[in-house]
Amino acid sequence: MTTAVTTPRHGGTGGRTAVAARARQVVKAYGSGETRVVALDHIDVDIARGQFTAIMGPSGSGKSTLMHCLAGLDTVSGGQIYLDDTEITGLKDKKLTQLRRDRIGFIFQAFNLLPTLNAIENITLPMDIAGRKPDKGWLDQVVETVGLAGRLKHRPTELSGGQQQRVAVARALASRPEIIFGDEPTGNLDSRAGAEVLGFLRKSVTELGQTIVMVTHDPVAASYADRVLYLADGRIVDEMYQPTADQVLDRMKHFDARGRTS
Amino acid sequence: MTVLKTSMRNFFAHKGRMALSGIAVVLSVAFVCGTLVFSDTMTTTFDKLFAATSADVTLSPKNAPEAGDEGPRTGRPESLPASAVARVEKADGVKSAEGAVTSDSVTVVDADNDNIGPSGGAPTLAGNWTKNDLRSMEITSGHAPRGPTDVMVDADTADKHDLKIGDELRTIAATGDFTARITGIATFKVTNPGATVVYFDTTTAQRELLGATGRFTHVSVTAASGVSDTQLKKNVAATLGADAAEFKIKTQKETADDNRESVSSFLDVMKYAMLGFAGIAFLVGIFLIINTFSMLVAQRTREIGLMRAIGSSRKQVNRSVLAEALLLGVVGSVVGVGVGVGLAVGLMKLMSGMGMELSTKDLTVSATTPVVGLLLGIVVTVLAAYLPARRAGKVSPMAALRDAGTPADGKAGALRAVIGLVLTAAGVVALYTAAEADKAKEGSLYLGLGVVTTLVGFVVIGPVLASFVVRVISAVLLRMFGPVGRMAERNALRNPRRTGATGAALMIGLALVACLSVVGSSMVASATDELDKSVGADFIVQGEQQITHQVEQRMKDTRHVAHTTRYKEVRADITTPDGKTDKGAGLSATDPTYVKDLRRETTAGTLSAAYGTDAMSVGEKFAEEHRLKVGDKVEVAFDDGRSGELKVAAITSEEGTLDRGAMYLNIKTVEKYVPAERMPLSDMVFAKAAEGKQDEAYAALKATLKTDPQYKVQDQTDFKETLKDQVGQMLNMVYGLLGLAIIVAILGVVNTLALSVVERTREIGLMRAIGLSRRQLRRMIRMESVVIALFGALLGLGLGMGWGATAQKLLALEGLKVLEIPWPTILTVFIGSAFVGLFAALVPAFRAGRMNVLNAIATE
Repeated sequence: MTTAVTTPRHGGTGGRTAVAARARQVVKAYGSGETRVVALDHIDVDIARGQFTAIMGPSGSGKSTLMHCLAGLDTVSGGQIYLDDTEITGLKDKKLTQLRRDRIGFIFQAFNLLPTLNAIENITLPMDIAGRKPDKGWLDQVVETVGLAGRLKHRPTELSGGQQQRVAVARALASRPEIIFGDEPTGNLDSRAGAEVLGFLRKSVTELGQTIVMVTHDPVAASYADRVLYLADGRIVDEMYQPTADQVLDRMKHFDARGRTS
Repeated sequence: MTVLKTSMRNFFAHKGRMALSGIAVVLSVAFVCGTLVFSDTMTTTFDKLFAATSADVTLSPKNAPEAGDEGPRTGRPESLPASAVARVEKADGVKSAEGAVTSDSVTVVDADNDNIGPSGGAPTLAGNWTKNDLRSMEITSGHAPRGPTDVMVDADTADKHDLKIGDELRTIAATGDFTARITGIATFKVTNPGATVVYFDTTTAQRELLGATGRFTHVSVTAASGVSDTQLKKNVAATLGADAAEFKIKTQKETADDNRESVSSFLDVMKYAMLGFAGIAFLVGIFLIINTFSMLVAQRTREIGLMRAIGSSRKQVNRSVLAEALLLGVVGSVVGVGVGVGLAVGLMKLMSGMGMELSTKDLTVSATTPVVGLLLGIVVTVLAAYLPARRAGKVSPMAALRDAGTPADGKAGALRAVIGLVLTAAGVVALYTAAEADKAKEGSLYLGLGVVTTLVGFVVIGPVLASFVVRVISAVLLRMFGPVGRMAERNALRNPRRTGATGAALMIGLALVACLSVVGSSMVASATDELDKSVGADFIVQGEQQITHQVEQRMKDTRHVAHTTRYKEVRADITTPDGKTDKGAGLSATDPTYVKDLRRETTAGTLSAAYGTDAMSVGEKFAEEHRLKVGDKVEVAFDDGRSGELKVAAITSEEGTLDRGAMYLNIKTVEKYVPAERMPLSDMVFAKAAEGKQDEAYAALKATLKTDPQYKVQDQTDFKETLKDQVGQMLNMVYGLLGLAIIVAILGVVNTLALSVVERTREIGLMRAIGLSRRQLRRMIRMESVVIALFGALLGLGLGMGWGATAQKLLALEGLKVLEIPWPTILTVFIGSAFVGLFAALVPAFRAGRMNVLNAIATE
């Protein structure tokens, strides 16, 4: 299986297409000649709107690269990427920056927050940068949802790892982006804090209709998703809907074994 | 060995980050070496010149002035009778003896009445052409002067003023003017630093310069072969017998040494002043080096932790950082020595532009110069790196295991605040004591103490102040830039120690600028105030030569001039009734109209009474010191004249700076005791216009003096303007020299920013990822830079104005009554600092903008 293109379905948010982001024949290669390494090998993928998608795969499979390309953080060597109807491949830095600011949210594994800003300042930062006033009601709701109400004036150093990631989630949600990308958002957390954060992400998809794409290598984390994409050697090799942690683990073992024997 | 190897690798891996500290070392060392090379070259130039111009033995009159001393103030040089030449010629071992005439009390003008003399302070020398001159010069065109209308001029002057053979030159001496045509041009074989030299035949020189034929200013004696100069001197003295006491007899070495001494005191002042500025640059450089190494150590915390974890001792880590500093010091100093030589050459070119000719042929790099440069550069660099190195040694092995993240932010400690406050308070008390002091000497001691202590206090307290001051500046400036401004503020605040040190570097230079500009403009304001209050004369005439009788007479006869007042300085020994003698005191001999030209208050008697026959006035201080009252008699023994008993008729109060403590008497009184030919010429002539004819009188006086460009007529406005210009020029020179310290401080800001950007790579990556545009990012870094620069400027200017105001209060004792803060200058500097900040941020901001977002956020 080399593609993961879903049939367009209308759902979630009104007039927009049901596909939040699309990749078409995306190639990402580093170096040239002998030393050429292909990280993404003609990938086609559709990210459905209002769904929680997890990208899994062994180290070096290209899962992070795929996410970076989809999010407009990295450039591609070939192919096109669309965010909604906007082709982002080929956009200049200025437009890309604006796009990331206004239409995309990010949660990284670590170092998500600016140490000089307190929690609420970190949350509203993308809107501040854009010079937009945050929607007060929505902001309150987001803060409420992630359970940070009492800690908004704290600096990141005064927060626990889990709390810091919750601030990052709140920041990603606060500006109501079309899509949120998470790069191992729970990679640095203990299982309880991780579960908490994943719970919020799940809730934001189910209750708020948010679109989320998350790279992870943790089967438990992947089990929160609606759909799991498996990457190996720069290609999408499999996908799974409504996974459970066990199913994911099984499938992974299968790939690992195949990877070793082949 | 491994220590050295890691140091080498680190050094070269971070050569970009080292570069700015390196430049600071290079600049400071170059400044020191440049100064040394320059002053050595000047010394060489003068040595060569003096060796070439002085004869084996020179005989001059007993009362001839020593080199560097002021000559007789009569406008005619001291001379000896021509018979001395014949007498000296008879001495054993004399090959030849030659009478010579030299005078520097002349002005030479071309056909357009333009002064062909040098403008940079070097003299115009006129004399007769002798064989001795052939040692230092050769005639390159035409021939030597042969008759009363012949003149020969030196080639440099001829070039500069476009003079050719056949051109007419007019020589103005105390005895009158005369005209001659150029018949020859002579070129110096050694470097002539700038004097204009003209030669006549002997009779003409004697008649026109000395006012008497049959006299010479000195005799140049040449030794026969095999006779040493010392022997020759003895022989000459023996021949003269008892009359030897009437003369000064000097060997070539003695003449050259005396000459050198007179020049070297001037050269030394210049040298030490410049070295002082080099020292300031070094001081600022120290901040830069400390900051750089602190940041490098902070960024390498993990690496150092790893080294410790695998078994490096504290000492080894410590040493490896010091070894890096040593490398930096060596590289920077070596380059600095080279640049210093270049700087000296540049300085020589600059001096040439200002009329002081120096030749690169004489470029002298003594062995001590590179040694001093290297030693200074290396020692200072290593010392400055000592603290950061110690901190590196304290890094625990655990640091290797922790997440790198950003290095711990340095907090401004409470201890630091206390020490800084105590020092600053002590400094302020010292400054206050200085301001209140009623003795200048004691006051200046406190001033110096206060300046140093407040400076150190501010440096120590800088980080604490940074948190406060940066907030204030931000509140005013940055808030309007929204979140970007807020982040810039937070960034400037996050490491107060760093911001403090970076700002302090800028503070030092700017404090000096502020202090000097306050003192300078207070000087101008005080003088202007005084001129307005007390000067009644409309015009003042003075110049590079004393004023001759002929010119005095012509000014007196000028239309629309109501009166002129001559002002002469007369030297005398004054014996007061208390039995004490004030030797060589200067008296101001003027015409009685002077009381109208300069209004002086008296504490006793009236000034006009002091202009009566055998009367005089004294200053308040002098009167107090010698318990003089009006009516007391003092014994005045005039130089070159008789003694007389003069009555104290007035005591002037000591206010202001003009004629402070002057003792006035009538020129007529002096004439009673001093023969006419020994009467000093006037230093100044004051003039008052006829009622309502100011402009006409001014124009008329200018016309009168047209043929004598060595004198300048100024009305009060001109005079104030000149005063302002002089102070301004002096300040500009000082600012220029401080410029280096400021450049080093700017490098410091650049360095801090550049390293901060590197340190915050991940943060910047994150901000870019969530949508901060390049432009916003650059703006954020620029604003951080501006805030740091303004912080330094605010501290520096505040401190400097405090120093300046204290200095003025202290100098009020010397008549500097008015305090004037030059707000335009202060404001310009402040706003300029903001631009310095913008400028310093250019490269770091550009590089931050170029940073790859993905690399920045990628987790390891």
